[in-house]
Amino acid sequence: MTAVTTGGPANRKRGRTRGGMSRNAGSDVRAAYLFIAPAVIGFLVFVGYPLIRSFYLALTKYNGLTDPVFVGLGNFRRLFTTDPAFWPALRATGYLVLLYVPLSLILGLALAMFCNQRFAGVRVVRTLAYLPVVLPAVATITLWKFILDPQVGLMNTILDRLGLPTSLWLQSSTMSMPSVVLVMLWGVGGTMIIFLAALQSVPTELYEAAKVDGAGPWSVFFRITMPMISPIMLLQVILQTTAALQTFNQPKILTNGGPGFSTKVLMLSIYENGFPTLGRIPQLGYASAQVWVLFVIIIAVIALTAKFSSLWTYSDSTSD
Amino acid sequence: MRIVVKRTIGVTALACAGLLTATACSGGSDGGSSDGPVTVKVMTWESAETNAAIKKALADFKDDNVKVELLETPSGQYGDKLASLTQAKQLPDLFWCGNDTEQQYTSQGLLVDWADKLNNGDGDFKADKFVPSAIENWKTADGQMGGLPSLMNTYGVWYNADAFTAAGIPLPKAGWTWDDMYAAAAKLANKNGAKYGLVADQLTGPDGPFTMSMYSVSAGGAPFTDNVNHPTKAEADDKYKEGVEKLTAAIKNGSVAPPGYDAANVQSLFAAGKVPMTFGGQWLAAGFQTDKPKIKYGFAPFPQVQTPTTLYDSVGICTPQYTKDQDATYKVLQYINTKVWDAVLPASPVAPPAYTPAQTSYFDALTKAQQQTVVDTVKADLSAEKTVGVRFTTQWASQVGDLTTANYQPILSGKKPITDLPAYVDKINGLIKQGS
Repeated sequence: MTAVTTGGPANRKRGRTRGGMSRNAGSDVRAAYLFIAPAVIGFLVFVGYPLIRSFYLALTKYNGLTDPVFVGLGNFRRLFTTDPAFWPALRATGYLVLLYVPLSLILGLALAMFCNQRFAGVRVVRTLAYLPVVLPAVATITLWKFILDPQVGLMNTILDRLGLPTSLWLQSSTMSMPSVVLVMLWGVGGTMIIFLAALQSVPTELYEAAKVDGAGPWSVFFRITMPMISPIMLLQVILQTTAALQTFNQPKILTNGGPGFSTKVLMLSIYENGFPTLGRIPQLGYASAQVWVLFVIIIAVIALTAKFSSLWTYSDSTSD
Repeated sequence: MRIVVKRTIGVTALACAGLLTATACSGGSDGGSSDGPVTVKVMTWESAETNAAIKKALADFKDDNVKVELLETPSGQYGDKLASLTQAKQLPDLFWCGNDTEQQYTSQGLLVDWADKLNNGDGDFKADKFVPSAIENWKTADGQMGGLPSLMNTYGVWYNADAFTAAGIPLPKAGWTWDDMYAAAAKLANKNGAKYGLVADQLTGPDGPFTMSMYSVSAGGAPFTDNVNHPTKAEADDKYKEGVEKLTAAIKNGSVAPPGYDAANVQSLFAAGKVPMTFGGQWLAAGFQTDKPKIKYGFAPFPQVQTPTTLYDSVGICTPQYTKDQDATYKVLQYINTKVWDAVLPASPVAPPAYTPAQTSYFDALTKAQQQTVVDTVKADLSAEKTVGVRFTTQWASQVGDLTTANYQPILSGKKPITDLPAYVDKINGLIKQGS
């Protein structure tokens, strides 16, 4: 940022410091530190400290009412050996990720490709596709809960009128998670908009050359579009997986984790232990241990995705 | 420039420190200055309308040395609010609390023990004027009372009288049996837009094992646990098993809603005639007075096998240890229990007061609203000889919910055999042992 010179009349004029740094340069450095200080302080206060504190709490029995009591790895032992909700929560989280991430990527890309065409009203279609993202999530999820109500909901009413089989949707242990994922996919416009930007950055001459060579639409998609947007695809895989692992709103509002443990994802379990219903004592130490397990899982998934990304992402080495 | 920056930082830091100090000083219970009247702060979980009625009633509290202030707090997320205020040691002098909160907070030494004042105080405001089961359950193992019960929760079966009449089934009334109930549910299921004949979240949800105690105790057997506040054991004897088997059969034949049924809308579905029978508390009566159901309805006591048995539960008012003036706080607590309900309940008869002399206004309001079945059932519940607790109130109670979801509910759904019941009970006993 600041060029520190060691000689020349200009420096003599400004005056030199003992370390060879000009007084002005030193002042610039201090100003730079001052400017980055809010971000650094913010990080330390709102990320660094809570991270360290939560790790400490994960090693304690702490209810928020009395002082924490150190229990070592006791919380982790309980998690992995005796908690009847932990493994089902991990299973539910994994199932949600496996269902949601591929579907959101496929649907997002398909929508983006559709919106990348030139036709009358394309802007309206793009706006409509993105609209669910800007609507308040809680309101739309609550609306979906009414739609999927098995007794008086719109979905079953329509299916019934059409003579199609109805479902218990959110109240069925087999259909509850697909229903939750269906509601999550309502917000796929966010994925679409990033893919759309990626598609629009693919050089048109590549498509023109492919056309000249007589390439069909599938060849164009798999040999030009996909390789060119693969870095964005990698980004999307990481973003969507991370978001899916931390899903909370939809299961909380739609099913509260039920029926049974079928939609009780890890975030919901963490919330219920940390902030239980009225009359229950919080288990903040235990919830912190769960947070750290989730943190490790997210880091591991990102690391694995990044490690194997070179197998399927295209990088233009000549661009350096 | 540097001096200006330094000065700005200094001023900002001072301002921040000042703000933080001011914030820290302004919250929490304020005992008032040493020479002025003491301010007693009250926080409820009631709706804005009920709070307005409480505020109006509190305005009539006259004491030169005591001022009462009702905190204007939204009723939602009371649990989160309570947890935050507890952690910040900023709880108001009097706050609405459940029996479980009272038990847990008292065991942590967070609440004022009113046992001595209640047993040895002046006047009529004594323990023997309260509903006995409420007083008994608000005592900790060592006899402390970290709060006083204020309102009773009684439970029973809400039924759609029109649906019963149309199906030619006698209306539920005191003395009806569990078999009567399941038979009625079977006849009412899949009729007139009703999928199930009975929706009973209390039987099939996380508190289900405790509610099932009503069956075993009524049949002369043992309850699921000997004491919800200070349990020493859990058990499922033959009578209890019989109750579970009957419920499982009713779920299997589709007459009772299975575990996992979302009971959030059950009140509106009942009012719309789409749920013919549901377990519920007496407080629904207050809602039905304002949002009148389309159907003719009634409220019956729980069914029995041999002897009438019901659930008990109550809510109350607690005081943190750090309240500044215990005498002043107790005066206001006494005023709320003896006078405030008289002003609040006629407009919204939500629950009978635990302080028995104050119950008249509640029953008068229900009688005036022609809710006679509610009056009869609530009175029967309050005088019931055999009662069972609704759930554990212990520190580790939240872990029971997960065990129930993993082990008990699958038995009801038919996904696990009834022979797995002892294994579930063993796990609960493990928790009890660990907790004690």
